[in-house]
Amino acid sequence: MRSFWQATVSGLLIGGIYALIALGLNIVFGTMRVVNFAQGALLMAGMFMAYWLWELGGVHPYLSPLVTVPLLFGLGYLIQRACVSPLLARERAREPMSVLLVTLGLALVLENAALLFFSADFKTVQTDVSLATFKVGGIIVSVPRLVGMGAMIATCLGLYLFFTRTDLGRAVRATGQDREVARLMGIDDARIYGFAYALSAALMGVAAAVLVPFFYVHPALGTSFLLKVFVIVVLGGIGSMPGAALGGLIVGVVEGIVGLYIQASAAQIVLFAVFIGVLFLRPAGLLGVERQ
Amino acid sequence: MTAPASPPPPRPLATTVAAALGAALLLVALLLPLATRAILGDDTYWLQVLIWVMFFAYLSAAWNLIGGFAGQYSIGHAGLVGIGAYTSSVLAIQAGLTPWLGMLVGGALAALVGGVIGYPCFRLRGTFFSLVTIAFAEMLRVGLELTDRLGPIEINGVRGLLLPVLGDRPWMFQFTSKRPYYYAMLALLLAVLAAGWAVKRSRLGYYLAAIRDDEDAVAALGINPARVKLVAMMLSSFFAALGGTFYAQLVGFITPTRTMSLDFSVQMVIMAVLGGIGTVLGPLWGAMVLIPIAELTRAFWGGSLQGVHLIVYGVLLVLVILYWPQGIDPWVRRGVDALARGCERWRAAPPSAVSVENAPRIALPADGLLGARLSRNGAGPLLSVRGLSRSFGGAVGVRDVSLDIAPGEVVGIIGANGAGKTTLFNLITGALAPDGGEIQFDGRRLARESPDARNRLGIARTFQIVRPFVGMTTIENTMVAALPRAASVAEARREAARYLEFVGLAHRLDVPAGGLSTGERKRLELARALATRPRLLLLDEVTGGVDQRSLPGLVRLIQKVKGEGLTLLVIEHNLRVISAVADRLVMLHLGQKIQEGLPAAVVSDPEVVQIYVGGSGTKR
Repeated sequence: MRSFWQATVSGLLIGGIYALIALGLNIVFGTMRVVNFAQGALLMAGMFMAYWLWELGGVHPYLSPLVTVPLLFGLGYLIQRACVSPLLARERAREPMSVLLVTLGLALVLENAALLFFSADFKTVQTDVSLATFKVGGIIVSVPRLVGMGAMIATCLGLYLFFTRTDLGRAVRATGQDREVARLMGIDDARIYGFAYALSAALMGVAAAVLVPFFYVHPALGTSFLLKVFVIVVLGGIGSMPGAALGGLIVGVVEGIVGLYIQASAAQIVLFAVFIGVLFLRPAGLLGVERQ
Repeated sequence: MTAPASPPPPRPLATTVAAALGAALLLVALLLPLATRAILGDDTYWLQVLIWVMFFAYLSAAWNLIGGFAGQYSIGHAGLVGIGAYTSSVLAIQAGLTPWLGMLVGGALAALVGGVIGYPCFRLRGTFFSLVTIAFAEMLRVGLELTDRLGPIEINGVRGLLLPVLGDRPWMFQFTSKRPYYYAMLALLLAVLAAGWAVKRSRLGYYLAAIRDDEDAVAALGINPARVKLVAMMLSSFFAALGGTFYAQLVGFITPTRTMSLDFSVQMVIMAVLGGIGTVLGPLWGAMVLIPIAELTRAFWGGSLQGVHLIVYGVLLVLVILYWPQGIDPWVRRGVDALARGCERWRAAPPSAVSVENAPRIALPADGLLGARLSRNGAGPLLSVRGLSRSFGGAVGVRDVSLDIAPGEVVGIIGANGAGKTTLFNLITGALAPDGGEIQFDGRRLARESPDARNRLGIARTFQIVRPFVGMTTIENTMVAALPRAASVAEARREAARYLEFVGLAHRLDVPAGGLSTGERKRLELARALATRPRLLLLDEVTGGVDQRSLPGLVRLIQKVKGEGLTLLVIEHNLRVISAVADRLVMLHLGQKIQEGLPAAVVSDPEVVQIYVGGSGTKR
C-alpha cells in the first residue's frame, strides 16, 4: 500500500509540471483557437537556456527565469507576429488550420537545430536540490518535484488573478470569446494575440526552470512532453484553465500508478485508451464547455 | 454516365498538352532504370533515390486524400504505415502469406483503425483530428516498442522484425535487384494518383472540397460532413498501409521507431504542402524537390548531422505556408498553359470561341423548375413551432416562440438586432438544440436531427453572412448541393446550371465564388439552397449588405421563388422589401413574439414602429 501512495504522490508532483505546460498550450488555444505545436520546442529551448546558464554562468536553474522568461516572451512575440498573425488574418473566416502546420514547421526547425548544435547527448544539471528528498509519513517526497508543483500552483494563481483582475487579462479573455466584438470594444486584437502567445512561451521558461534540476535535457524532449500535454488538454477540456490543471494531475497519477504495477511506458497505452474514451464519450473534455 | 444534353465543348489544348507531358513523364519513369544501367552500370544508389522519391510522393498523396482534399491534417499517418508494414510482415513470417495479399489485409486493417480514430474527431473541429492522430501514432509506436509478443506472435518490441531473406521470389514480393521494387513503387504511385484524380472528379471530391472551405454550409446542404470525411480517411489510411508493406519488403527490416516516427508523419505533410495541398499531383512535385535535398545534405554532411534536412524542411514548410500557400502545382499549370499557348500560335489556329455567353442556352422546363417536393404527408401547417426557447448562459436567445406556417405561405420575421431571429433559424435547422419547446415539420416531430438530416427532410437555409465555398467556382458550389440527389456528376452539373440560370447567374458559371459581388453571392447561396429541393426555405437577410440598385432584382427573385409554390420563412430588416414579399409578418423582440399579422398591419403597429424607429428596444 505504501508503494501505491508513493506512486500517487510522485505522479501528482510530475503532473503539476505537465499542467504548467498544458496551461501554456491552453492560453494560446483559448485566445486564438489554434494549437501551438511549437509549445514543446519552446520548453526545450527554455531548458537548454537554463542548462547553459548553469554550465557557463553557474546560475542556479531556479534563478534562470529571470533570463529565460523575458527571452522566451520576446521569442514568442516574434513568432506570433511573424508567422501566426498573418495566417490568422488570412483565415479569419474559418478554423485557422494552417497555423498548426506553421508551428509544426517551427518545432521541426528548433528541435533539429538543437540536435545540430547541442547533439543528442542527454545533459543533466546536478544542483544541491537535484537529489534532495524528505519523508512524510513514510512517503519520500522529492524536493525539486515539490518545487515544480509549487510553481504550478503559484502560476495558476497568478494567471487567475491576471485574467480576472487586470484590464489586459480581461481583454485577452474577451478576445478569446469573440474577437469581432472585442475589436468593437476598442481592443487591439493583434496586440492581444501577440501578448497571449508571448505569455504562453514565457511560461515555458518557468516550466524549464523547475524541470532542469531533476530531468535530462535533450532536443527531442519537448515533443515527448507535448504529446502528453495533448492528452491532458483533450482530457481536461481544450482551452479550459482548470481543465489543464486537473488533466495534468490525472495524467501524472495514472502514469505513476500504471508504471508501478505494469511498466513505466505502458502508462502511455493506458493514457491513450483514456484519451480515445474521452473523445467518444465527452469530446468537450471533463471541464470543457461545449461551444456552438 | 448519362450523356450530356449539349455537345461537349472541344477539348482545350492545355488538356492535350498536359496529357502529352504526363505520358512523356510516365515514359521517362518507365525507361529510367534502363538508362541508369546503361550509363552508370552499378546504379543501385540512384535507383534507391528514385524509389524514395516515388515512395514519399506515394505516401504524401495518400495523406493528401484526407489532409489536402478535406483539409483535415493528420499528423499520424506514420502509424498507419506501421500497421501496414507489421500486418503483412507478421502474416508473411507466421503464416507464409504473400505480402501481395498481406498488404491488402494491412490496408483493410488500417482503414478500419483510421475510421475508428477519425470518426469521433470528425464530429468536432479539425484541430482535434490533428491532436488525435499524432497521439495515436506516437502511442502505437511506444506500445509496439514495449511489446515483445502479442499472444503467440513474436514482434520483438523495439528490436523490430527481420523478414527472412528468400532471394528472388516475385510471388513473395522479394527481389535481389532494386529494379522490380522500382516498378512496383511506380505502379503503387500511379494507383494512388489515379485514385486522387478519380476522387477529385467524383461526388466525394466535390463534398471534400466544400468541407475544406466551410463545413457548416455543407451540412446545410443535406450532406453529412462527418461521413464524407470518414470515407476519405479510410481511403487515405488504406493507401498509407500499402506503402508500409512496400517499405517492409524493400528494406527487409522494420522497427516501430523507424517505421512510425513522428518525423515520418510530418514529412508526408510537408511534401503535400510544398507541392500544392489538395491538388492531385502536388505530392509528386513536393517529393521531387525535397527528397533530392535530403540526399544532398546527407551526401555533404554524412550521417553525423542527421537532422539538417529536417531543418530545411521545417523552414520550407513555414515559408511556403506564409508566402506561397498554393505551392508548386500552380507553377506547373502555368507552365502547361504557356506551352499550350505556344502550340496554339504555332498552329495559328483561331482561339476556340466557346465562352459561357455563347454556350447553348439551357432549355428551361415550363413549370416545376425547382422540382420542389410539394407533396405533403398530412394536412395542417408545414412547419409548426410550439413554445420554443433557448438561452445562452444568462442571455435569452428565443423565449416561448410559437409559429405556424402553411404550405406555400411566405412568412417574414422582423425585429431589431438581437431579437432572436437567427437563433430561431438555427433552432429550426438544427444548428442549435432548444432548451424547451417543440418543432414539427410536415407532421413529423423534430428532435435530435442534425442540420444535414433536416435538410434531407426538406428544410433548407441561407446564411446571414454568405458562405460560398470560395475555393470553388459558382457552378461547382451549386453542384455540391445538387449532387446528393443527382444520378451522376454530369447530371448535377446540368441541374446546377438550371438553378443558376433561375437566380440569374448563368453568365457567371465558371467564375470562382470568391470573385462574386455581394449581391451575386446572395443569389448563389439561394441557388445552392434551391438545389437541395427544399419544401421549406429559410432566407436569412437576403438583402443585407446589398447595394440599393440590386434590391429590386433580389425582391423579384424572391417573388419568383414564391411563385414556384415554395414555402418561405424570411428574415429581413428592410420593411419595404419584406412587405413586398411576405403574406404575413412576425415581429420578434428580445426573443419573444410580440406581433403577428398582415404586413401592412404589423408595419404600422405603434409598438413595432417604436421599436424600429424609437430604438428603445436595445435598452432594457
